[in-house]
Amino acid sequence: MMDRTKYLYLAGTVVLAAAPAVLNTYWVDVLNNVGMYAILGLSLNLIVGHAGLFNLGHAAFYAIGAYTAAILNSHFHIPVLWLLPLSALTAGLFALMIARPIIHLRGDYLCIVTIGVGEIVRIALINNVFGITGGANGIFGIDRPQIFGWVIRRPQEFYYLIWLFLMVTVFLFQRLENSRFGRALNYLREDETAAEGSGIHTAHYKLMAFVIGAAWAGMVGNIFAAKMTIISPESFSFWESVLMFTLVILGGSGSIPGVLLGALLIIGLPELFRGFANARMAIFGVAMVAMMIFRTGGILPARPRTYRLPQPAAAVEAKP
Amino acid sequence: MKRTLWGALALSLLLAGPVMAADGIKIGLMGPMTGSWASEGQEMKQVLDLLAKAVNDQGGLLGKPVVVVSEDDGGDPRTAALAAQRLATQGVVAVVGTYGSAVSEATQNIYNEAKIIQIANGSTAIRLSEKGLKYFFRTCPRDDEQGRVAVQAIEKMGAKKVAILHDNTTYAKGLADEAKSLLAGKAEVVFFEALTPKEQDYTAILTKLKAAAPEVVFFTGYYPEGGLLLRQKMEMNWPVPFIGGDATNNPDLVKIAGNKACAGFRFLSAPLPKDLPSEGAKSFLSQFQTQYGSQPSSIYAVLAGDGFRVLCEAIKAVGSTDPDKVAAYLHKDFKNFPGLTGAISFNEKGDRVGEVYRVYQVDAAGNFILQP
Repeated sequence: MMDRTKYLYLAGTVVLAAAPAVLNTYWVDVLNNVGMYAILGLSLNLIVGHAGLFNLGHAAFYAIGAYTAAILNSHFHIPVLWLLPLSALTAGLFALMIARPIIHLRGDYLCIVTIGVGEIVRIALINNVFGITGGANGIFGIDRPQIFGWVIRRPQEFYYLIWLFLMVTVFLFQRLENSRFGRALNYLREDETAAEGSGIHTAHYKLMAFVIGAAWAGMVGNIFAAKMTIISPESFSFWESVLMFTLVILGGSGSIPGVLLGALLIIGLPELFRGFANARMAIFGVAMVAMMIFRTGGILPARPRTYRLPQPAAAVEAKP
Repeated sequence: MKRTLWGALALSLLLAGPVMAADGIKIGLMGPMTGSWASEGQEMKQVLDLLAKAVNDQGGLLGKPVVVVSEDDGGDPRTAALAAQRLATQGVVAVVGTYGSAVSEATQNIYNEAKIIQIANGSTAIRLSEKGLKYFFRTCPRDDEQGRVAVQAIEKMGAKKVAILHDNTTYAKGLADEAKSLLAGKAEVVFFEALTPKEQDYTAILTKLKAAAPEVVFFTGYYPEGGLLLRQKMEMNWPVPFIGGDATNNPDLVKIAGNKACAGFRFLSAPLPKDLPSEGAKSFLSQFQTQYGSQPSSIYAVLAGDGFRVLCEAIKAVGSTDPDKVAAYLHKDFKNFPGLTGAISFNEKGDRVGEVYRVYQVDAAGNFILQP
């Protein structure tokens, strides 16, 4: 079982690594977008899928990461990739600050607050808070990322940067999912009272999930800023939060392959449907509705995990 | 059931493959076909389709038919960057578009690296042509040109105390800054602030405005807010005259504000399609009317049409589609081309030379009347 998944991942890696050689620039850039949204989806998946906290304001953390990178890069000329941890830090700190007082809210109440936060951040960016966000113009002239003096410029180069980051993310989140931390999150998602009764500090775990998810989104923001070289508040609208939320729910919340597939569909399908010109968004909508009718739990829902108890040494020896 | 679904999906993928296989000169159109500016984008496409048909009826370009390849930029920089990549891989010679300044900016480098000529039709932000990009042109005027005309109009009204209200967008802020610096020494700017777009109630900022006691208010934002401001200003019984920038030029302004509140409102705009004086424009408009049943409502769609005609003319004159030759021709030898919106020439930055903006006034019936 485990071997099969391993081979699957290996085959996927080979296919992905070879993709830019086969595809044209446009499709590579579509895959770049898919990759970025996959990472965003995974970061949101930790909050929505694992901890069960409805967050419809994830674009706010994404925006804060992007603006951190953009502001520091354009004012102080710090290379963008060096700012990656800092983008994570500011987004994480912001999440901690706003999530601390509201973390006890349940379900839809929390959802409404996060929508509010997302809008506040977007409008604050438009209104040029502290005079550093450039208002509705946004910030332009952000440097391209550099790795050891090699400037990442073409979509093919970004492809490797983004998908490498995605792989690291998948690996780490997979580990997190199977850790004590991940199990605690799942427990409190299923039954908060029981989890608390079993000695799980629910507020702490929820906050941690929020902060880690936000920090990860902040890092994607950094890459987004470096890729576009111009960012403006319209890139972080409520619709972006909805997209991220949809791809998690559509793919299968709590499931990493599900989120990856969700990103592929949500970002990839509108591009595939470009041939339909003006009707493309309508067709995209129909496809979404159809999928949700046929797969209500998401396309690839999380499978129940089984853990074997370590067998006592004596029992093993007794077997022939 | 599942199999049918996958079948349908696979079929749609096949359909979505390369639609254009025809051999011809491909000219791209990048416009907001979806999103909040969708009406602009769709009209741009109608105009280009009509013009391309006219060119093809006369034998095409260099003996080949012209094919318009249109892509949706969604009015959003991220989608636009993808649309630009897609156009670049489809082998277009040049691209017309797009409407929003920030949207155009996200695509400029992609086109420049792919050596594709871009003629923007609605992106008026000054900085777009200040980067020294060789293949970037625009048929719309720049914001500083509009600022100049606005200040002329304000001077003409004899106002000594002017309030400037913008909405912090690239375009509106740029125009407001330009007007403010040009007004220095001519009139006093007593109010300079931004409102937040997409709200429903602007009485707070109107009250603040009123306290500054301006003789004229220059609003540089877009028509939805403009309409609300006019209506709420009337409800406050405050008769100060308003002047709007060209983003208030939309029939919906009157729908939002109502005829009474709009009467006397002035705005700057490139001439509306109906007021275009040249013979070429008139015959184009009547063709458009017969083809689609109505006149184009937006000047930016007509400016996109001009971009297309400029490209056709340049390709014909150079006798090739080599981007370097076409760009050099457009920069140097292309003078006073009779465009639909008046004579077109480009300076070395790719900006359109010449006066385009006029002053309009709304009459009591809500019609836009060109002021002499």
